Amino acid sequence: MFSIFTSLFATTTQGAPANFWLPKQASTVAQSVDHTFFVITWICYFFLFVITAALIIFMIKYRRKGNDVIVKGPTHNTPLEIAWTILPLLLVVVIFVVGMRGYLDLQQAPEGSYDVQVTGQKWSWTFEHPKYGATQVAELTVPVNTPVRLLMTSNDVLHSVWIPDFRVKMDVIPGRYTSLWFEAIAVGEYNLNCAEYCGKDHSKMFATVRVIPKEDFEKTMIKLASEYEDMSVGQLPAYAINRLYNRCQSCHTLDGSESTGPSFKGLWDRVKSGDVNFISGEKLSNLYGESTTYEVPENYIRSSLLDPQSHIVKGYLGAMPSFQGQLKDKQITAIIEMFKHLDELTDAEGNITVNPDGTPRQ
Amino acid sequence: MSNTDSSHHDDQIGHIVPIKFLIFICCILLFLTAVTVWVSRYDFTEINIAEMGIILALAVATVKATIVGLYFMHLRWDRAFVGFIFVGSILFVVLFIGIALTDTMEYQPSIIKGDTPKVSDAMDLLKH
Amino acid sequence: MTTLTTQNPNDNYLNHTKGIKSWLFTLDHKRIGVMYLVCVLLAFLLGGIFAMMIRFQLLTPEGTFMTQDQYNQAFTVHGAVMVFLVIIPAVPAALGNFVLPIMLGAKDVAFPKLNLFSWYLWIFGLVFFLIALGAGGIDTGWTFYTPYSIDKASSMGGVIPALIGAFVLGFSSIFTGMNFIVTIHRLRPKGMTWFRMPLFLWATYATAIIQVLATPVIGITLLLLIVERSVGIGIFDPAMGGDPVLYQHFFWFYSHPAVYIMILPAMGVVSELISVHSHRHIFGYKFIAYSSISIAMFGFLVWGHHMFTSGQSALMNIIFSLITFSVSIPSAVKVFNWLATLYKGSISLNTPMLYGLSFIFIFSIGGLTGLHLATLATDIHLHDSYFVVAHFHYVMMGSALIGFLGGIHHWWPKMTGKMYHENWGRVSAILVFIGFNITFFSQFMMGSKGMPRRYATYVEMPEFQIYHIWSTAGSVILAVGFVICAIYLLHSVFAGKKAPANPWGGRSLEWQCPSPPPWDNFPEQPEVGDCYDYSVLEWNEEEQGYDWRKDAVHPGDEQKA
Repeated sequence: MFSIFTSLFATTTQGAPANFWLPKQASTVAQSVDHTFFVITWICYFFLFVITAALIIFMIKYRRKGNDVIVKGPTHNTPLEIAWTILPLLLVVVIFVVGMRGYLDLQQAPEGSYDVQVTGQKWSWTFEHPKYGATQVAELTVPVNTPVRLLMTSNDVLHSVWIPDFRVKMDVIPGRYTSLWFEAIAVGEYNLNCAEYCGKDHSKMFATVRVIPKEDFEKTMIKLASEYEDMSVGQLPAYAINRLYNRCQSCHTLDGSESTGPSFKGLWDRVKSGDVNFISGEKLSNLYGESTTYEVPENYIRSSLLDPQSHIVKGYLGAMPSFQGQLKDKQITAIIEMFKHLDELTDAEGNITVNPDGTPRQ
Repeated sequence: MSNTDSSHHDDQIGHIVPIKFLIFICCILLFLTAVTVWVSRYDFTEINIAEMGIILALAVATVKATIVGLYFMHLRWDRAFVGFIFVGSILFVVLFIGIALTDTMEYQPSIIKGDTPKVSDAMDLLKH
Repeated sequence: MTTLTTQNPNDNYLNHTKGIKSWLFTLDHKRIGVMYLVCVLLAFLLGGIFAMMIRFQLLTPEGTFMTQDQYNQAFTVHGAVMVFLVIIPAVPAALGNFVLPIMLGAKDVAFPKLNLFSWYLWIFGLVFFLIALGAGGIDTGWTFYTPYSIDKASSMGGVIPALIGAFVLGFSSIFTGMNFIVTIHRLRPKGMTWFRMPLFLWATYATAIIQVLATPVIGITLLLLIVERSVGIGIFDPAMGGDPVLYQHFFWFYSHPAVYIMILPAMGVVSELISVHSHRHIFGYKFIAYSSISIAMFGFLVWGHHMFTSGQSALMNIIFSLITFSVSIPSAVKVFNWLATLYKGSISLNTPMLYGLSFIFIFSIGGLTGLHLATLATDIHLHDSYFVVAHFHYVMMGSALIGFLGGIHHWWPKMTGKMYHENWGRVSAILVFIGFNITFFSQFMMGSKGMPRRYATYVEMPEFQIYHIWSTAGSVILAVGFVICAIYLLHSVFAGKKAPANPWGGRSLEWQCPSPPPWDNFPEQPEVGDCYDYSVLEWNEEEQGYDWRKDAVHPGDEQKA
């Protein structure tokens, strides 16, 4: 009880922990946003207290006794009414100015911010680091105490990046760039949610912001950018299921259950045997062979990733976006290898059982 | 239509406009329609103002709407209050369109030029 | 009360003519009002069922019984039904139609046929919504944001019927508004000057102005959206060079003023409730009247505050934030004036008044949290979170609907001629108040802590489960309150005590005609006086209602003298 009471009086020192109203502060702007929030909240407490107190006192003191009509009290008081028009007006002007200054700070990214390109797509986030040529999915690694600018666009509908602990939010719009910036002040992991409704799996469009020490950042990025290049074919499945599958998981399950797209469980067997029917009425096995659409099953999978609308499996809507230009050749190979070895990578419930380096997961 | 005993009696019947006058107004409107058609056929790129066609067409449309309002809808002879409401609602539209367009102009620089997949698809289709 | 010389004292608008046809083709504003009331309440039940489905789905982070698609459909239908079918017509079309002409001293609205037509349009709107549900459902949210709503591959098949439904309902709303404007301008009887009109009439007048000016904009926007979705004209679709943010401008240009279409009439109701049930002249009549008009005017200039994170330019964000604060002033003025009205009053804690007092408290919270959302720096964090959901439920549901409920109870004796059970009424009003606050206050807390809205599941954020459990528990209390209310109101229709002409001691004209009113409202012209001067009334034990004081000076006498 006492902790709730003290958190009402939350001071807003930088990096304050979560309190009654707000989550913990993890960016440089959070402190000023929270300060504004509590200034307004205290004004609210004050007015709500006055209004409620008046209501209760009047209810008790002037409660009707009997049915007689008793008339007293003034019908108007112009100076009083003008006063309670002007005073709130002054108050809200002050709130506006404070809020606007905070907003301008949120708007302008400092010179020399570290740039990340963000793409929203139903229903996952892709983060590209142009400086390192590294791409992350559903996970964004950034250095601590460094201003980071997200340059964002969408491939399909509106989305919105919201990182509550950083107090930043911006819509992501197709055909247009929007941006936001933040400077994380503490190493740790933070939630990034989609805040603009974007269809079926809106609530699963989630990413983790991983804030790591500055000195580790470059090393991590270089490793991320090139880790698959030196891998042998045997190492690729473990890489794909850990690094690439999170891009697929909102629509494709690993345990055989239904979702927006077909489950990956047993997918390779179905594809290899050609036992897949399309909306067009064609059957995959009829498309295999020399000088036909797909020479080998691997080609069908490649085409499904790069041109998913060409053949849509019967019973599905064809909601899959194209990954053209987002996946390197070797990464596509890795995905195909992942399908071939899926049984070794997951257990019966569809949980992933290996780490990116191939060691078994705890 | 219900009535109360004390409602206003000043303009129960309204103003009557001679039919010849209405035909005259109608002719003006038809003439303006012809102007719009002519404008739509004229290629203004020669004088380097490609949008001129739209500007002229909208200007003509505004004049026509005003004439319809003034004469066919009798605003010219009605009480000033009704005219005030009419002008007020025009200002209201200006406010709405004005603010919305000011904003779109403000954020034009952030639009990704040429990123219109459906348009490019249609163009491809036309080529083949 | 002045002597009434009705041909038959038992003849009233309910039994004047009989048969279902006499209702379906009626031109009587009272019957149309009652028909609206019944329909709006049924739609409220429909929207309420979807609301309960939403609340039960969110009991666990994984969701309890709906798929993602089903949940998306549930919140869309809940929002669309509650906004377009319930709250917008609730007070103006249902209560307004019944009360407005009588309060004004008129025999009917200016255009009775148009009035009936607008009720039929409401029915058509409902039919289109039901078609939308049958034709694959709608999952766009009631806001129909592009490009999702024009993406035929991913959004559901019922979008176009739903858009047509909203379009048709828009016309229903425009016609009601037009009717009220003309009625108030042209059918005021002798003595009923602008500043003698009860404040409810000022509020409905201000509302009608918004309905007539703003609703056509949503009409054309929805038409554009229908064309965009069906043939693709490239106005809102970025894939064709269109602009989804422009859609949001168009949409909120109506939908923000629509918020005032919902709340202003409820404020008008509360002005009546507070004054009548405390037998106190309304404090600062002119300030309240002008505040209604200024809310209607300023309400048109603030739509951009729904778009602070939408990609609207920084310049516009700042301008809209500034103007938004100006709307808070007239709202604050109203609250202070209501409090001042209670001061030294004779406050009867009956059911309508309990709703009125609930309104003041809940609207204060709803209005004050609007400050957080109007402020740019904090809105960036709070936008599209449960904080916003809580805020607009405090305003839309806690205020607009509670005002509506208060109005129903206030005018129920007049409409039905029967008294409802007073103590059950109080129990229900208190349950609604408690349930409402538990349901939505917890949503403020989870929203500011980071719970986004429109989430079918929250697997990554299980810390919010406790707030969702609170919220669902509150919604159950709320539902029980409503069920009790429905039961005793229905019961009163069949077995309620006969209502006197003036059970509360009101001074506005509707309390001068019998309950229920005769077919033509006033056999004789009623006497128009100061509608908040209660000194001329006294309690009549025999009638169990209020009557003119024997020695009271009648307004008519004053004029003669």
